[in-house]
Amino acid sequence: MLEVIWHARGGQGAFTAARVLGAAASADPDTFALAFPTFGPERRGAPMRAYTKIAARPIGDRSASRRAAIVVYLDDTLFADGWEDELAEGGVVLLNSKVAHPDARVVTVDGSGLAADILGRAIPNTVFLGAIAALCDAVTLENVEEGIRATMPAKLHERNIAVVRAAYDLVAGRARADALPCCSEAAPIEGASGEKEREASSVVSAEPPARIIPQLQELTVAPERFARSTCFQGGHLVSKNAGWRSLRPLVDQQACTGCFNCYLLCPDGTIYKQPGAGSSSTVAIDYDFCKGCGICAKACPAHCIAMVEEGGGRDEALHIRQ
Amino acid sequence: MSVNARTMSDDELFYGHKACPGCGGALVVRQALKVLGKDAVAALPAGCMSATGFNFPQLAFANNAMITPFAATASVLSGIEAGLRAQGIKPDGCTVVGFAGDGGTADIGLQALSGAIDRNDDVLYFCYDNEAYMNTGIQRSSETPFGASTTTTPAGPSHPGCVTGKKDLFAMVAAQGIPYAATASIGYPNDLLKKVEKARDIRGTRFIHVMAPCPVGWGFPSSDTIALGKGIVDCGLWYLAEYEDGRFTLNRDPGRFASVADHLRSQSRYRALTDADIVTIEAHRDQVWQRLRQRCSCESS
Repeated sequence: MLEVIWHARGGQGAFTAARVLGAAASADPDTFALAFPTFGPERRGAPMRAYTKIAARPIGDRSASRRAAIVVYLDDTLFADGWEDELAEGGVVLLNSKVAHPDARVVTVDGSGLAADILGRAIPNTVFLGAIAALCDAVTLENVEEGIRATMPAKLHERNIAVVRAAYDLVAGRARADALPCCSEAAPIEGASGEKEREASSVVSAEPPARIIPQLQELTVAPERFARSTCFQGGHLVSKNAGWRSLRPLVDQQACTGCFNCYLLCPDGTIYKQPGAGSSSTVAIDYDFCKGCGICAKACPAHCIAMVEEGGGRDEALHIRQ
Repeated sequence: MSVNARTMSDDELFYGHKACPGCGGALVVRQALKVLGKDAVAALPAGCMSATGFNFPQLAFANNAMITPFAATASVLSGIEAGLRAQGIKPDGCTVVGFAGDGGTADIGLQALSGAIDRNDDVLYFCYDNEAYMNTGIQRSSETPFGASTTTTPAGPSHPGCVTGKKDLFAMVAAQGIPYAATASIGYPNDLLKKVEKARDIRGTRFIHVMAPCPVGWGFPSSDTIALGKGIVDCGLWYLAEYEDGRFTLNRDPGRFASVADHLRSQSRYRALTDADIVTIEAHRDQVWQRLRQRCSCESS
C-alpha cells in the first residue's frame, strides 16, 4: 500500500488534492484508494492533515497514517523538526518552498509561485499532484488529469491540468531518475494475492445450495484476509450454539403429524422439514444450533416433542411424554 | 399464495445468531426474512438483533445486511434503496428492510423514521417491541408499559416501576399518512406473515410494529414466548390492527378479554404490582380500546 500524508493549513486544498490523487489512482479498476482529512473545530488557516491510501485491493485500515512514502507540506511553516519520523524508508518529502533543502530526501517545489503564475491564485495543492505523478509509479500524469476531471468543477479543469503538467515537467526534469521503490514493489505483489482471493471466493459461490442456510465453516477468517475490507461473507458461522442448552428437544417421529407449528415458531430456525413415511413429512432438529428454549415442545399440538436433559437418552424422552 | 408454515421458503436467512433462547425478536427477523426472501437488504441499528446477528466472523444473516448508527435506521434504509436504484442493481423483488427495537424506533430513531415516511421512501420498517432496552440490560424505553420493572424504573413495595404508558407508534405513523402500517404479535404468527406479505407488495414506506416478548427482560421461562405474545393480545394489552389507504382495520377484537391479572402475574417484571395497580391497567386498557374501536372498522371478532 502506498500512503501519502498531506500537511497543510485549512483552505490550501489538501483534502481536495488527497481526493484527486485517490481518484486518479483508482481510475484503474484493480486499484483501490481512500482519502480523508483530519482536523478539529478550527477553520481556515489552522494546521490540518489529509491522507491518501492506494492499494491493489480494498483497504480496511481507515486510520490515519503514521508513516508514509510520500509526505507533502503545502505550507513550509508546518515543516518542523521530527519530519523524518513520518517518512517511510526510501520515501520522499515534497515541500512547498522557494528554498532548496540540504537533505536529499526533501524535494522542494515552489508550488505557491507556480500556482500564482498559472492559476492566478497561490493555491498550491494541484502542483503536488503533478510532482507525485513525476516521482511515483502509482499514478501517471494521465491518471491525475482524469482524476481532476472526475472530481473538480469543470471551470477549474483546464488551468489545474496546466498546473499539474508544469509541475510534472519541473520535478521529472530534476528529481531522481528512479521512481520511489516503495511504489514499484508494492503494487504487483498485492495484486497477485488479491487475484488469488477472488478465485477462492468464486469457487465457494460456484454452486449455490438449493436451500439457503448458513453453514458452519471449518476455519475462522484470518486477519490478513478480513483486514482488507469492511464487507464480509454473510451467513458465515464459525461456532455452534449447542453448548447453551441444558434441555434437548426430542421428536417422536411416529407421533409427528407434520403440522410444522414447531418449525414456524422456532426463533433459531433449527427445526427443518424432512420426508416421513409415505407422502407425509415430519421435522428434525439441527442440534448444532438448537438452544433448547422449549418453544417447540409447547407449540406441538400432538405433544410429540419432549424436552429431556442433555445426556439423557431417547427412552427417557418417551417416558416423559407418557 | 398465502405464506404459512407449509408454504414458506425453506431458506433460513437468519441462522446461528446469539440471541437468548426463546427470543421473540429473533423470531420476528426470521419469519420476516422467510417472506421477503434472499434479495432483501436488511439494516439494523444498535440493539439485540445486531448485537447477536453480527459477531464477526460469525455472521448470521445470509442475505445482505448491515449495522446502522443507532438513530439512523430509516435514513440508512432510504440511502440503500436510493443507492441500489441509482446504480441499477436493485434486484426484482428486493425489499429494503429495517429491524429496530422499540428504543431504536420510538425513542432514538423516531425522527429518521418520520423523515422516511415524509419522503415516502420505498422501505419496510419493522419495530420489534420487547418493551425496553434489552440489549443494554433492560432500561426503560418509551414503549415500556405502566408497572413494568426495569433497571431504570425499579419497582418496589412503594413504587410500581414504570409510571408511563406505551407510546402509540402506530397512530403516529398513520398520522403522517403512511401507505401501510400494522401492528402484530409473534403470538399470532399467521397474522404477522400475512402482514409482512402485504407490506412486501406495497410501494412506499411501510411500518410494522411487532410485539416480541423477551424472556429475560420480562421474566418468564424461555418456552413461553409464544404464549406471552398471544396472551398480551388476548387480554387486550396489545392489539392487531392495520392502516391502509387512510383506513384503520382492527384484525382481532376479542369480545371478552382474557384476564389481565393472569397475564401480568406470569412475568416477574410485574411482581410488585398491587391489585389496585392492575385495576388501573385494566381501566387504561378499556380507554385504549374505546379509541381503537372508534378508529377502526372491525374486520372480525
